[in-house]
Amino acid sequence: VPVLGIGHGNKLLTDLYNCHLTRVYTVGGLFGKATDDFSDTGKLVEKTTFDHITREKLERILAVIQGTNHKALLLYSNIDMKTQEAYELAVKGLIRPMGKSPPIITGIRCLQFAPPEFQLEVHCLHETQQYLRKIVHEIGLELKSSAVCTQVRRTRDGVFTLDDALLRTQWNLQSIQKAIWDCQLKVKRELEKTLG
Amino acid sequence: ALRGTLRGTRPGTRPPPALRRGLAKAAGPRSVRQLREAEEAAPVFQYAGKAAKRKDRVFVWGFSYSGALGVPSFVRPDAGWKKPRRIQRTPYRLETAEKISSAACGYGFTLLSSSTTDIIKVWGMGLNKDSQLGFQRSSRDRGKGYEYVLEPSPIPLPLEKPQQTRVLQVSCGRAHSLILTDSEGVFTMGNNSYGQCGRKVVEDETYSESHLIHQLKEFDSRVVQVVCGQDHSLFRTKKGAVYACGWGADGQTGLGHYNITSVPTKLRGDIAGVNIIQVSSYGDCCLAVSDEGDVFGWGNSEYLQLASVTETTQVNVPRHLPFKIGKIKEAACGGTGNIVLTEEGNVFVWGYGILGKGPNLIETAVPEMIPPSLFGWSDFSPDIRVAHVRCGLSHFAALTNRGELFVWGKNLRGCLGTGRMEDQYFPWRVTVPGEVVDVACGVDHMVSMVKSFI
Repeated sequence: VPVLGIGHGNKLLTDLYNCHLTRVYTVGGLFGKATDDFSDTGKLVEKTTFDHITREKLERILAVIQGTNHKALLLYSNIDMKTQEAYELAVKGLIRPMGKSPPIITGIRCLQFAPPEFQLEVHCLHETQQYLRKIVHEIGLELKSSAVCTQVRRTRDGVFTLDDALLRTQWNLQSIQKAIWDCQLKVKRELEKTLG
Repeated sequence: ALRGTLRGTRPGTRPPPALRRGLAKAAGPRSVRQLREAEEAAPVFQYAGKAAKRKDRVFVWGFSYSGALGVPSFVRPDAGWKKPRRIQRTPYRLETAEKISSAACGYGFTLLSSSTTDIIKVWGMGLNKDSQLGFQRSSRDRGKGYEYVLEPSPIPLPLEKPQQTRVLQVSCGRAHSLILTDSEGVFTMGNNSYGQCGRKVVEDETYSESHLIHQLKEFDSRVVQVVCGQDHSLFRTKKGAVYACGWGADGQTGLGHYNITSVPTKLRGDIAGVNIIQVSSYGDCCLAVSDEGDVFGWGNSEYLQLASVTETTQVNVPRHLPFKIGKIKEAACGGTGNIVLTEEGNVFVWGYGILGKGPNLIETAVPEMIPPSLFGWSDFSPDIRVAHVRCGLSHFAALTNRGELFVWGKNLRGCLGTGRMEDQYFPWRVTVPGEVVDVACGVDHMVSMVKSFI
């Protein structure tokens, strides 16, 4: 789901970027191999066994990753932890780094698990594709095995979901105009909520 | 012709083996088939077998100069480049000889116990000025004992059947400790100036370097839980009764008077006839939870711990606390604040101090709920629940069902384990490399029992 802006939309794009909204990816992985660029097309570094991995162990690791990233979220948001305001934002779950920060994962869960393949849903902020592949590799290491990333697919970018996306066959003027019209309200509401 | 003679061979023959180009291979990118073959031929490494068991570990953090962390190199560095570490700010792994099933933190000392049938079942470290860790014979002078024990040292117990009895639980107070066994009653050690060890107070007794370990057996049924307050002891039996002994000036013995008691005596008041399933205490206030989800309190109420039922600051008879917050599963008492966990998994706090709802909430007599979103609950992960709550003297700890540890309160000498030295006003995750199974809170240090991930 890549987002494109036309004409005046470019200004909105920068505003949306400053909102620092999360993006959702579906990441596919494969156990048993480790490569140098963490994807399955790279140079092989090591092969390991993976028959000891169960869904329960994977979910345990994912819970820990989510926990440490939640902590990083609070740390990078640059709010003084001793104030009542920080407490209130933390309760509502609205603490988010509003400036530059390293990639942070706000949520991660396992969608499918069929060893050696598995699929994860990752909600993240300020990420890069390299970072998502690295996460897959690190999950493999934590499980005392190795993993490579086979697929990365963005399913949501801020307020734009798969449903708003236009198919290749719909790349004509009418559909584009209709899509812009539909999304305008959502974008405006989100900008007002975050930037005030 | 010149080329031919330099070569020295007749054209058409292969050069002798010594002159053949040895390891050189054909240049250029390898084909897909070659890559696939190389990949399949690569060796497979195994790091964990199919039946790999999860390992049990112990992590400690907090103030180390008392020896309570059990790492001697923090206090007396054993290598030239090491510097003494006064405070361990983040969880540090402690190597133990056996799997530790129960741990307790006292005021400057720690007890670890294992449910093994070996001879050595309990280890202690930290302050030993009142022999709260038993007699630790000094290796330099065989007649004297150690005042500070820097490493987990075995505590010899006078058991009748040492290879059959198992130690179920340990508990530590300010200067005394209690060890609960499954068939030989309760062993008490340490300071007895107020009768907290359950034996008659001997005037001018010196507690340091004492070999005396007292055994308590006479209760109405088997003792299933022992709890140490600051200078008093509580015993909970299988039938649901509670016994107490020790210092009573704040009414913490709950026996209807403010004197000291040197023999464990049964409590009456609102808990007479009630089946109590859990007792808790650490300072001078005590809480008990019944099987029906009611909570009873007695002891010190200077910090509004019992202000919901009475205005007096000392309550010496157990009183029922009529809170309408749901059925209560677990309670924990600290020095100035109390915390309970309900059946639904909600956490309520009341009392005085940093209670966990931001810097504005300093004291309350009525329990206030801590929002579950602070423990990681959200629309994305709605099945996170708090499973256990624990209390130190001025800080709180909560364990979730996913094995995460949250702490908040006063960060006295780094006891929270967050890596920072500031106080924490709302629940904060502690990064522990493993799934936290249980945690024991002390005054300025904490001990946690952790299972590794794989």
